[in-house]
Amino acid sequence: MDKTAVQEQKRLGDPLDLRARAPFEFKSAANLMFIDRERPRNIGELLDAFHTCSEESIFQHTFRTLEEHHFIKEGFSNDFAQWTYVELGEVGLGERLASLDVREFTSLEALRSRLATIVEEYGAENPKARDREASKPFYFCSSKKIVLPPQRSAATLGEFIEGLNLVSLHSIHYHFIEARLRRKLESNDFSIWLRRDMGLEREADLLNQIDIYTSTLEGVRRKIISIVRNATQPNQAGSR
Amino acid sequence: MTEDAGRPSPVAPQEGRSGSEHPQSGKQLDARPAARPRPRISETPPPAPPAPHLADYAPIIGKSLLDELRFVARPLIGKRVKMVNSTAMGGGVAEMLSRLVPLLDELEVKTSWELMTGGNDFFEVTKSFHNALHGEKLTLTQQARDIFLLNTERNRQRMSFDEEFVVIHDPQPAGLVAGKDSSSAHWVWRCHIDLSHPNPEVWEFLRPMVERYDTAVFSSPAFARSLSIPQALFYPCIDPLSEKNKDLDESYIQAICDNFGIDRSRPIVTQISRFDRLKDPLGVIRAYKMAKKYVDFQLVLAGGGASDDPEGAIVLKEVYNATEEDPDIIVLDLPPWSALEINALQRASTIVVQKSLKEGFGLTVTEALWKGKPTIASAVGGIPTQVIDRQTGMLVHSVEGCAYQIRYLLTHQEFATQLGRNGREHVKENFLMTTNARRWLLLFRILSGLI
Repeated sequence: MDKTAVQEQKRLGDPLDLRARAPFEFKSAANLMFIDRERPRNIGELLDAFHTCSEESIFQHTFRTLEEHHFIKEGFSNDFAQWTYVELGEVGLGERLASLDVREFTSLEALRSRLATIVEEYGAENPKARDREASKPFYFCSSKKIVLPPQRSAATLGEFIEGLNLVSLHSIHYHFIEARLRRKLESNDFSIWLRRDMGLEREADLLNQIDIYTSTLEGVRRKIISIVRNATQPNQAGSR
Repeated sequence: MTEDAGRPSPVAPQEGRSGSEHPQSGKQLDARPAARPRPRISETPPPAPPAPHLADYAPIIGKSLLDELRFVARPLIGKRVKMVNSTAMGGGVAEMLSRLVPLLDELEVKTSWELMTGGNDFFEVTKSFHNALHGEKLTLTQQARDIFLLNTERNRQRMSFDEEFVVIHDPQPAGLVAGKDSSSAHWVWRCHIDLSHPNPEVWEFLRPMVERYDTAVFSSPAFARSLSIPQALFYPCIDPLSEKNKDLDESYIQAICDNFGIDRSRPIVTQISRFDRLKDPLGVIRAYKMAKKYVDFQLVLAGGGASDDPEGAIVLKEVYNATEEDPDIIVLDLPPWSALEINALQRASTIVVQKSLKEGFGLTVTEALWKGKPTIASAVGGIPTQVIDRQTGMLVHSVEGCAYQIRYLLTHQEFATQLGRNGREHVKENFLMTTNARRWLLLFRILSGLI
């Protein structure tokens, strides 16, 4: 699209009817949790477990737990941080682990490595903390995922907004948060579609700025819809 | 699993109860303050309403999640499942199966439910196994082994295992896995009990059987054992359409409170549990007395267990004594079929407390969270999985902590409301019957490579 697609559509008709180059297909994923062998009770054992646990386990305790706790908008980041705070009482380590933003990682190996580095550095700075026992172990679990076929598709911005309103939060998580691992890109399925198939560069960037750690997933859904809807307003048109 | 025996009814809760109510009698109520009206409680269990249909869950979980459930089930259409347990009525497993089986059937995954049969000697042995797996001492005799194996073999010969999936619930029928040799099914052992500290002798007897299954399923990572087979995690669940959890008319809630002498114009703090020392009802009364110096409220302690358990009757008496005839402490010894009354009491509550000293998963906490109630609960058993401190409720470790959180939540309504809202969402995402059905379907797909 050489000309601003939305501007052109404004001239021609309702921006909500602007047709995409290719439709967006709303998929979703379903996960089942399995109990793994690793059960660390202290920082040293946690570090060992980071080296032996499966990728599915790293996924479960970071990406997936965000989905399971999608209704919390502050104070919850990942299971490792939560355990370190609550069961181990290592607040400093908890803060460092909680500051991880899963969206900065396009591979689980990179995320695993970062987690291990944080724990290793903390252990080196706080030798006494290494053997401090938690009140209960951290039970490593892993997630087996099944991707569900598209439930609906959107060929226009109007249909896209409607789809965003109707799909499950699992679908929002799949496209907006998990997508990085699938695509190996620091972006999400919605932004990629808005940029590539709708020519909405600015909106694609704005979506990537949504803070998933200070919003519920329902709040994230509303923010996405708001950004996309604004693209159809006259003063917002021509966002490329 | 669900704890209640009730089923949802399209009939208004009040209906079907009139004519069968009577003033509860018994020594327990003698200690009630004289001014309190005698509660009227049904003398006999009401008939069970029919199980709900899949579509009935749409207003609760949303159409999109229901559609996803159907998507997950689609590749399994026409497959057959056999569930086997040891009892058709009573207990959480039977109640859960009575809901799960029709749901899977409606999703066109044909599911049959069969019972393990045996004489008294068999069930005495399995009862002793059950207690031993919870950690009780037991010397496993050759006679007990023989009775277990003989009855297992009789049942194995009686049953056929030509389904695609066979799910065996709990230790009683675990030995049926011997039938795996002549079956092409995927075999799953669903363990509903806590195996964290089993009697070693009994566990070593059962372990070789368990390790013949393709997968074991536990309710908590803490309840699991180290096994050579994969172990899936299925949280217990509640049915939002059961009598204990379905929405109730405001007029019914009011009628129940009127019946029990509860003033709804003042805050109500409630603990629902059997009169059992492990539920620490005396600790709750102590917390009430500490908090009452600062805030005005009523305490409701409601549950059962006093009529069929001598220990329960003793605890109930101690509870009555501890009330010191305080008119704001309302003690209710309810029969097992009081699901609707308990539902109403939970919904009428300002705060729900579960100050257990030891707990399984703690489904009464799940029920309170589902009703959007700010919940204060001990950090024991499966409760921390449900109550994420300061997010979905408040975790406490002492009577003093409980008293403080009662004061805090009664005076910080906005925060309390947010806790309740989060708690309900937590249950909706993780602990409902529909999520349980989804987990079974996912497991069947993973086992059969339909991913």
